This record gives sequence, structure tokens and C-alpha cells, in this order.
Amino acid sequence: MTQIKDAFKLSEIIGERAPKFRSEHPVLGLDLGSRASKAVLLHKDFLYATQIPTGYSMQETADELLEKLTQKAGVTRQDLRYIVGTGYGRITLKYDDIAYKVVTEITCHAMGSHVLYPKARTIIDIGGQDSKAIKVDPESGKVVEFVMNDKCAAGTGRFLEKAAQLLGIDLAALGQYSLKATDPSPISSQCVVFAESEMISLRARGKQDNPEESLANIAAGIHYSSARRVKNLLGRVGIDSDLVFSGGVSNNPGMWKVLEDVLGAKFAPPAPVDMIFAGALGASVFASRYASKPVHHAHPKPVLATA
Amino acid sequence: MTQPSNPGGKGEDPLAALQAVIAREKQAFIDAKDGRKKIGYLCNYAPQELFNAAGVRHVRLFKGGDTDVVSIGERFTQSVFCDFTKACLGSFSGNDPLYKALDRVYAAHSCNTIKRVSEIINQFVPVKLLSLPKLRALQSSRDFFHEEFIDLRKDLEKLTGNKITDEAIQENIVLYNKLRHILKKISELRKRANPPITGAEYLDLVTGFYYIDPKLALPLYEDLYAKLAAKESALTGERPLRLMMAGSVVADGDRRMLDILEGELGSRVVVEAHCTGVRPFLHSLRENGDPLRALSDGYLDQAPCAKMRPLSDSSESAGRLAQEYSVDGIIYVYLKFCICYGVGTKEFMTHFQKIGIPALEVSSDYSESDHGQIKTRVEAFIEMLNERKDNLDEQYIGA
Repeated sequence: MTQIKDAFKLSEIIGERAPKFRSEHPVLGLDLGSRASKAVLLHKDFLYATQIPTGYSMQETADELLEKLTQKAGVTRQDLRYIVGTGYGRITLKYDDIAYKVVTEITCHAMGSHVLYPKARTIIDIGGQDSKAIKVDPESGKVVEFVMNDKCAAGTGRFLEKAAQLLGIDLAALGQYSLKATDPSPISSQCVVFAESEMISLRARGKQDNPEESLANIAAGIHYSSARRVKNLLGRVGIDSDLVFSGGVSNNPGMWKVLEDVLGAKFAPPAPVDMIFAGALGASVFASRYASKPVHHAHPKPVLATA
Repeated sequence: MTQPSNPGGKGEDPLAALQAVIAREKQAFIDAKDGRKKIGYLCNYAPQELFNAAGVRHVRLFKGGDTDVVSIGERFTQSVFCDFTKACLGSFSGNDPLYKALDRVYAAHSCNTIKRVSEIINQFVPVKLLSLPKLRALQSSRDFFHEEFIDLRKDLEKLTGNKITDEAIQENIVLYNKLRHILKKISELRKRANPPITGAEYLDLVTGFYYIDPKLALPLYEDLYAKLAAKESALTGERPLRLMMAGSVVADGDRRMLDILEGELGSRVVVEAHCTGVRPFLHSLRENGDPLRALSDGYLDQAPCAKMRPLSDSSESAGRLAQEYSVDGIIYVYLKFCICYGVGTKEFMTHFQKIGIPALEVSSDYSESDHGQIKTRVEAFIEMLNERKDNLDEQYIGA
């Protein structure tokens, strides 16, 4: 995994804008995803981020993230004023000693993207096992409308992962390969299972004298197939700029290029914070809000410290 | 599981009492050996009045929700059949005692999938198909449907060996009008800010309409209405989110979405624009003139399913219902591969958008594998609605 910058002064992120999410006391946002788990800790003028692969136990994964980030930020677990959990693992999250609440990743991704891109109106989030298109209110960062993919891996990180496996290359390299394509292979099927057999036959028919080129073309074909799927999702919420790409797959340069091509629209340039942290960042923003007025939102009820 | 609403403190829970009667009546249907014929029907466009006038025992065939039963049904179908139709076949093939007890099945030609399924059911129990014209505004459709009812009447007379008199049909029209009316009134108690029953409880009590002898059911529902109406109507604490569920059939046994909406997320389903909620009770049949004609006209004129044309009739009637019950949002749920509600999604969603009610579309089946995804979607939608509701409440308080 390439080194991602993980400690920021807020001014590096938002420049001279008034911070919407500064927190006097340390608060934590946890995004427990299907493949990777991410965390963002906000404290005074600083933001800390980290990620680890999601383990079997969501609670252990969460504890590990909490441990890592409090250490990095130089605070203790007892200092934490509020935790907001999001992502697939949010439901199993439980703390007896810290006030916490769960918020869906849709709401968190919208907020995380909003604080990094105040002009964002449309967000494409592609994660490990789902992809979403979110329309966001640029005034407040609230979700206006969203669409999520079906019970199906097409157009998700999982689809790309499976494709990389089949091509025998590293997932991180898949996007780079696709950028070198001369003639993207036509992959019509958007189902992982059928696309797999398409890929196998493409590989067999590929240029034996230039396997690298053939690989690049198949990799590009895979990206186009995913991008078309995402375009269908977006068709239902529309594309209003600024258009933001978030989630783990936003780090894939091949997907970035192909999506811009298929959508006929440009993404806002990369933010200083890696967009894999958008959900955790949004969660930490909500945590800072709940910490300052913890009883306002009674729905669902915040669980307050019992110890 | 869904939280039961407070049953009013003292005395026995009237809903539990009704559930006991429903269970008893289902068992009695299976056990009865008095020679009365037992029929099952598919779809709300099959006329209960006529079945009851014929003196047969009758039940609606709408069990579903069990993936094991679905997989039995899959032996007969292709994957592109919806889980409801697979469950239906699975119940026949898997020897569900209620389905095994049947002498004859009446299938309204609701969608093409049900029509195909009825042809397969014929391997287990003889089926008669009731052809349903979809262009309900045409006089020719009305005449045709009347002809179908004449034919159905003859078929039932042949089955039982008894004549169905006009008087008997008339009497049943009056009886079923009363039943529909009381079920509509019970539903309307949910217009209160503090509904006396949950959406899941309403669906459960409605199953009685399809399983209990109507003469027995009417006083039970009247009693239930009185008890529910007497419950505390003032709202204590925060107002729960009010939702409408619209879309495909919600089978007897399929409470997946309601468990998420009401059990896990604490919102309330206060009205349904689907065929196993309040929708079939919105209309009343004519009580004068030729009773069979009143029956065929009345069934075509009911609040329409998405199989009827024009489709805008269905989306508009769903929209009116949402407005009438002042819902905060609509969950439009259709079964995967549903050729009526799946394809109709855009029409419904566009209409809901037009009348300014937030709506979420969810495609679903009876499996558990997408529970997480569906919950995320619904939960995010509810977060959105809560924001909206808080804003509205604040504006209201500020004004």
C-alpha cells in the first residue's frame, strides 16, 4: 500500500474557510468497510487519519483503529468525547465507556465530501462491495437523493479485485495497466461471473506476441464495463458539478480516467485528504457536532456513557 | 422482530385474539371433512363474494417469505420469476397442508408470470384461469369481465352442484362492503400522529380477511376497531416518521421490510399502496341493480394494481393515499423480476417526485443476503427524512 498522508493541519485542508468541523475535544469517526476500515480523529486544529484491512471482528478492528489514532494524536481513549461509526460494520459497534452513535455511510460520505469540496453537488462513491451516487446540498452537506447498486458486485471494487486476480496482477496495478491500453477490449457483461468467462476467452485470444498490451486492453475493458454500470446509477440522480469521486476505488487512476470519459464530465481535482477517508471524515464531523450538543438528535438515540 | 404496540394495558390483546382465530380457521380449513369444496384463489381480482355465495371454503393463496419454499418452486421456473410466484409453486410442490387441501384453484390473470405459474399449479390441483382485461375504462373490457364472471359462476356451480342465486351474491356484496369498510376504518386510525397499530400489525390483521369466514370476521373487526379507537391518541415524545409502503405484493410471511422499517429503525408504516395492505379496501361495490354486474364492475374499479392500464391510474391513486395519510416518505418495494412493479418503477417514482413526497425504491426478494445493503439504503433514507422532519418541525415551532 502506498504511503498516504495521514496527519493534517485543518488549514491545509480548508484553507481560509471557516471550519465547519473543528472540535475542541478529540472526536472519532470510524468507517468500517467491507474490505478496509478507516478512521479520522479531529482534535483542535488537527485531523488524523488511518486505515487497516477489516478483520473478522468489527469491534476489534474498531478498537485497533481507535488505539492507533489516539496514539498518533497524542490523546487517550478517555479523552474521546464522541464516536460516530459508519460502514457495513457499524451495526455491531458498541462502546460502554464512550458516547457513540451510528450513521449510514451514505450520509457520512456526503458530509465528508462536502467539507473537502464545498461546491460538491454530486458524489460517486465506489467502495469494496457497493457503489453509490449521492446528490448533496452544497449549503449543508445533507443528502438530497441517492442511488445504490443492487445486490451484485458489478461496478464495485470487488469486481475490479476479481478481475485483477484473474489477470494475475496486483489490484493496485490494475488501474495503471488500463491507462496503457491501445484498444480497450469489449467486455459487455456487467456480471462478475459472466465477465470472468469473457475475460478468459479474451486472454486466450490476446496477442501472444505482446501480452502486456493485451493485458492493458483487457484491464481497460474491465474499467469501462464498471464505469457504464456507474453511469446507469448516475443517470437517475443526474450529474451536477462539482462532481466528486470518493471511496477506495477513487485511488484507481484507470477508473478515474475511464469514468470521466464515460460520463463526459470532469471530477473535481484530488483533495489533500485521500478520498478513501471521506466516510470516516464525515463520521468525525458528525461526532464533533454531537459532542457539542449530544441530545439534539434523538433518532436513533445516542448511547451515553454508563461508566 | 417488530415491536408490538402497547395493547392498551388491561385485558387480553385484541390483536393476539384475532391472530388466534386466524390460526384456528386456517387449521379448520385443512381439517374440514364436511364435503364443502375448498378453493384457493390468486390475486385480489378474484371475487370473494362469488366464492362465498357458492358456499365453498375459500382462501387467498399468498403465503411467501421462506427461501426453502422458494427453492422448491425454482424446480419449475426460470430464475426470472419473482420469489412470490416461486413460493407459490413451492407451497404446492412442497405439500403445504393448506395448499394440499384444495379442490380447485382460481387464478386471476394478473401478470404473465402468475398466468404461467397457474399452468404449473394445474399439475397439483385443477386450475381455472380468470381472464382479466387491463384497459378497465373501456366498455368492452367491462362487458368481457362480466362474461368472465358468468363463466366463473357456472364453474363454481359445477364444482359444488349447487346454484348460486342472485340473492346470495347480493347478500355477499353487502357483507363484503361492510368488511372492506371496517378494515378501511381501522387503517384510518393510523392517520393519528400516534397510530394505535404498527404497519406489521395491520398487515397481520388483514390476513384474516383472506382466511376467516366473513360472517365470523365482521364482528371481530368491529370489536377490534372499537378497542383500537379507544386507545390513547395523544402523542408522547417524538413523533415517529410516517411512511407509506407501495409496490408488489407483501406475502403472508414476508415481513422483511417491515422488520427493518419498524423493528430496527423505529419508523411507522401508516398506509400501504399494495395489494395486501389497505389498498383493496378503498372501494365499495354497488348494492343495487344486477349483482353479478355490480361485482364485475366493482372489481375492475378497485384501486388499481400496476398491471392495469393506464399505469398513471395506479401511481396517482398511490400518491393520493400518501397525501391523505400525511406521510413523510414512501418506500417503493418491488420483488426482483416483478414485471408489473419492477417495470413501473419510473412511473411511480416520477409521480411521487412530482407531488413532492420523498421516495426510495428498493428491489427485494425473500433471501437474507442483501439485508445489510437494504438496511443501509433504508436507514440513509430515514436519516434524510428525519433531517427534513426536524427542519420542518423547527420552522413550525419558529413560526
